[in-house]
Amino acid sequence: MSEMAPNATIDVVIKQDQSVGPWREAWRSFKKSKAALVGAVIVAFFILLAIVGPFFVPEGINDQVLKNRLQPPSAEHWFGTDDFGRDIFSRVVHGARISLWVGFSSVIGSVVVGSMLGIIAGYYGRWIDTIISRIFDIMLAFPSILLAIAVVSILGPSLQNALIAIAIINVPNFGRLIRSKVLSIKQEEYITSAKAIGMKDARILFSHILPNSMTPVIVQGTLAVASAIIEAAALGFLGLGAEAPTPEWGKMLADARIYLINAPWTMIFPGLAIMLTVLGFNLMGDGLRDALDPKMKN
Amino acid sequence: MRKKRWLALGLMLLLVLSTALAACSSDEKDDVKGDDKGGGEKKEKTLVFGRGGDSVSLDPIATTEGETYKVTENLYEKLINFGEQDTTLNPGLAKSWEAAEDGLSYTFDLQEGVKFHDGTDFNADAVVKNFERWMNGDAEKFPYFKSVFGGFKDDKSLVIKSVKADGDLKVVITLKQPQAPFLKNLAMSPFAIASPTAFEKFGDKFGDNPVGTGPFKFVSWKRNDSITIEKNPNYWREGLPKLDKVVFRSIPDNSTRLNDLLSGAIDLADGISPSDAASIESNANLQLLKRPSMNIGYLGLTVTRPPFDNVKVRQAMNYAVDKQAIVDAFFEGQAEVAKNQMPPVIGGYNEDVKGYEYDPEKAKALLKEAGYDGKEIELWAMPVPRPYMPDGKKIAEAIQKNLADVGMKSKIVSYEWGVYLDKAEKGEADAFLLGWTGDNGDADNFLYALLDEDSIGSNNYTYYKNSKTHKLLIEAQTEVDEEKRNEIYKKVQEIFNEEAPWVPLAHSTPLLASKSDVINLLPHPTGSDRLENVDFK
Repeated sequence: MSEMAPNATIDVVIKQDQSVGPWREAWRSFKKSKAALVGAVIVAFFILLAIVGPFFVPEGINDQVLKNRLQPPSAEHWFGTDDFGRDIFSRVVHGARISLWVGFSSVIGSVVVGSMLGIIAGYYGRWIDTIISRIFDIMLAFPSILLAIAVVSILGPSLQNALIAIAIINVPNFGRLIRSKVLSIKQEEYITSAKAIGMKDARILFSHILPNSMTPVIVQGTLAVASAIIEAAALGFLGLGAEAPTPEWGKMLADARIYLINAPWTMIFPGLAIMLTVLGFNLMGDGLRDALDPKMKN
Repeated sequence: MRKKRWLALGLMLLLVLSTALAACSSDEKDDVKGDDKGGGEKKEKTLVFGRGGDSVSLDPIATTEGETYKVTENLYEKLINFGEQDTTLNPGLAKSWEAAEDGLSYTFDLQEGVKFHDGTDFNADAVVKNFERWMNGDAEKFPYFKSVFGGFKDDKSLVIKSVKADGDLKVVITLKQPQAPFLKNLAMSPFAIASPTAFEKFGDKFGDNPVGTGPFKFVSWKRNDSITIEKNPNYWREGLPKLDKVVFRSIPDNSTRLNDLLSGAIDLADGISPSDAASIESNANLQLLKRPSMNIGYLGLTVTRPPFDNVKVRQAMNYAVDKQAIVDAFFEGQAEVAKNQMPPVIGGYNEDVKGYEYDPEKAKALLKEAGYDGKEIELWAMPVPRPYMPDGKKIAEAIQKNLADVGMKSKIVSYEWGVYLDKAEKGEADAFLLGWTGDNGDADNFLYALLDEDSIGSNNYTYYKNSKTHKLLIEAQTEVDEEKRNEIYKKVQEIFNEEAPWVPLAHSTPLLASKSDVINLLPHPTGSDRLENVDFK
């Protein structure tokens, strides 16, 4: 017993260091990067738009007035109208909610599943690691969009299934990330000591290993939201995502394709919306990586 | 270290090799494409025809589908041809023909010295063998034969009694009862004469190995990509065809096809979006071609599936859909609103049918009366542009909104084209967009072919059955007096209007576009163009 006491205090000291210091330091270095701040502002803007925007737009998502089709931007229709005479501004704003919903929820889904698998693979090793890692390798061998198309064609095209498909294809990315992190944390002395005092595996995994391997996941997650939005748009563009008349940005692009020459605004605004959100998430993700990754500090 | 170097070397080699191979393949493409402008020179004259979908088979009798006929019309010939841009009767493989007084037998004099692509002779015997093949088939194998001639060998309803050779170049066809559009029927694309040697040899695979007497011979078929045919050097009409090769490429997307035309990858494109007409007309390198209209685009309502088993719901659909707005928006004026099941150019069209005006209130009232339970329906949209409907998915979306306005929820569903037709034919759709281009310019080819009970399993996808119209339609087939016949058809249209198995939408003017140096292309109202006269300037 007397031997355990000093070890425990060391553990506490290390913990304190990590819980106060690194986050504040990260925020400091995040603030330093202008690009990251711009990204954060863009992301915040679109999140706000997605939450409150739909309550303030002039029209619903499917208010067709065929007589008013393909009108250029004007005071009445800020972004013009599409080929069904629907207000593009209203649809783009509604689309923000859909795209962000798909982006966040698919990434949360893949983080949860990926972390579970990654932790199990990394902590227990042996055959269970081999199986999980090989499954990840197989999934990563496919181009992600191809895998998503395959998943959607099994489940049937709909927004929800597109979301599931995107979540599935991102699982190995997070899984491998966590696994490698767990492999290194596993060797740390505080884990060894936790094991030595007879702590249960579950507790070690969830109160020591998981919290300590989250930083790269946050970075990767932010970037993954950006690619999830693009993937959802791509599936929508290919007719494998949202169904008519859902104002999903990718689908809006696909529908507007044939009017590229005659009515370019039908493509420009949904396209800009995709570009800006993705840009925002990428800038923010880059900033976060610089701020959180200890290797980038110097 | 050494290992790594070898690996790097290997990768480099692979890279170089793949670049070289890629270069080769693009060279090959250029060769196939040939030089279009080399008119007088020895260079090959290749016409690349971009269209919306692939053929289903290259055996025209095996299908009722237009993309097949576009190709087979140039591989095979029929006993009788249509006029250049109408459905008048002209000599084809038969030089001349004669009908008996009672309308029960026809004698055909055949062209001499015609040979099939496989070198065998075309003669009376070949014609007889073709008819025997068709009559011994079944609805599954030869769907169009049944709906045109009433059935197969063992069916009482089969119109043909016998087909006999009289010498080498004379064929006599005897009928059980007169069939007014008989000669027009023989001029239809599906009833082209194929080489008996070939279809006996290939059996079910004949659709992949077509052999006819036409101006072009079959070369190759890459599914969903392209069909290549080349000049038949032994073609019996002197100096024809003008082209050396025709490549039919399937490019489902309208704007991609137009872009290919603009970039010169193809020479001719059909299924031009009406919205692009203006920009084509103003382009000096392109010309816009209009196909004479002989079609109907409609929303079919499968009467065996609730809620469309109720006539009131079907009528409500007719009131709910704003046809004029759809025609204005998605046909851009290149169509007229339909009220009957066939276009006005067809003899027997009923002007007096009132049709259904756009009236959502009436639709709501009818739905209420019918006790419609608010169940969501499936609204099927064609995945490919068709001549009678340039963009099925957009029109479906407009209809979806129309239906939502009267309280009917719908889900837009689409399948790959072949699957779509197959499933709709089996009656698996609730409401489906589809259309029809007349194959012989006769009312029978619309009303009987599309909505009679005999056509269930071939072209009547709504499964609509009515003993009254069936009797009238059969009567019209045997009625030789043109005026009396038209009266019967008018009556049928009235009943169809009341019973509303469809929402008739539009009669479109299909648009094509070609490079301006393509000459002598006369688009045919049936949608299948003969290309033997087509040439480059």
